[in-house]
Amino acid sequence: MKALAALVVTVVVVVLLARFETEPPRTRNPNAALGPVRTPRALARPAATAAPDRRSGEGERSFLGPAMTTPFSAIQVRGFFTGRRLTGVETVLLTGDGPHTEALNARAEPILRESVLEAGSADVDVVSGATSTSRIWLDSLQGAIAEARRGR
Amino acid sequence: MGMPVTARVRDAGFRPGRLDAAFAWLRHVDRLFSTYRPGSEVRRLEAGTLALGDADPLVREVLERCEALRVQTGGAFDARAGGRLDPSGLVKGWALDRAAALVAADSLCLDGGGDLVLRGGPWRVGIRHPLRRDRLAAVLELREGAVATSATYERGEHIVDPHTRRPPRRVLSVTVTGPQLATADAYATAAFAMGAGGPAWSAGLRGHDAMTILEGGRVLSTPGFGGVPAVAAAPAAA
Repeated sequence: MKALAALVVTVVVVVLLARFETEPPRTRNPNAALGPVRTPRALARPAATAAPDRRSGEGERSFLGPAMTTPFSAIQVRGFFTGRRLTGVETVLLTGDGPHTEALNARAEPILRESVLEAGSADVDVVSGATSTSRIWLDSLQGAIAEARRGR
Repeated sequence: MGMPVTARVRDAGFRPGRLDAAFAWLRHVDRLFSTYRPGSEVRRLEAGTLALGDADPLVREVLERCEALRVQTGGAFDARAGGRLDPSGLVKGWALDRAAALVAADSLCLDGGGDLVLRGGPWRVGIRHPLRRDRLAAVLELREGAVATSATYERGEHIVDPHTRRPPRRVLSVTVTGPQLATADAYATAAFAMGAGGPAWSAGLRGHDAMTILEGGRVLSTPGFGGVPAVAAAPAAA
């Protein structure tokens, strides 16, 4: 993949379809007391920072959103801007264990392959699984966007 | 829809403006289908101020597919699961499938909140660990197709079993791969809502593969999961 990366240009463009600033998503969680806190807590103020080396686009600037936490995780994102356009988002801080769960004793269906869950890390292009739909991810990105607007 | 959409393009000389048509399409979809905008057609249908016969043909198409999926999944996929009309579970994938068709690029990855449309790979796709969100539970390498993952994560248990109106137990996440995101995403939602019965159901899906992660760390995968999905396979639904 590294050899391939040298030959191609990667463009990241982000559009936010959310309208979360006007009406919060309704929750269907009947165990709200076990869920995330309603108002995430900001750990740090957003700050303008230099873009990392991998992004050398002309006129591109990056702004760090605030680190947001819930009882289960912490997320912070960096937004990249070219002019007024948001051209990239990078998750720079991501931690958290979910709630502990009980073991399950059930038969495996014969047609299915069974394995044991592992917690790995690997060099991947993209991740499936919805961190970026989390409220705190969007809140942190919103902070980066607000900082970019103030910064111009 | 309430989510960010990210496009990754590997194409020498690509200009971001070539994504404009795709993102204009997504904004159009948001205006029609948003459950947050009081003036959207979905909200007006819900409120009874818009008759289905007067709705945009795109809205009618999506609601028809939702109904077909509800039947196919035995009610596990239900655009009215929460007691209100919310076709978002199909709209996102359906909209991203069409958005991808509007981008002229050899190699493209559209990412809608962790659900993916892929073209012109290889793309290395990590499947997020359901309990440790900074880790991966699996890695796939795909040339093209779609990957959808339904899970609880930190937003809370946002998928309910329409039969019990409660979140399913025993399942941490379900990942489905297939030729189209619309169906892969809906199947992932349905299999997740089925709880412990989801893996067996997912094994019967034509043209799709699935991986279910259960409480306690058991992982159940269909035999083809992890391979390259059949490019020309017809979706099994609608």
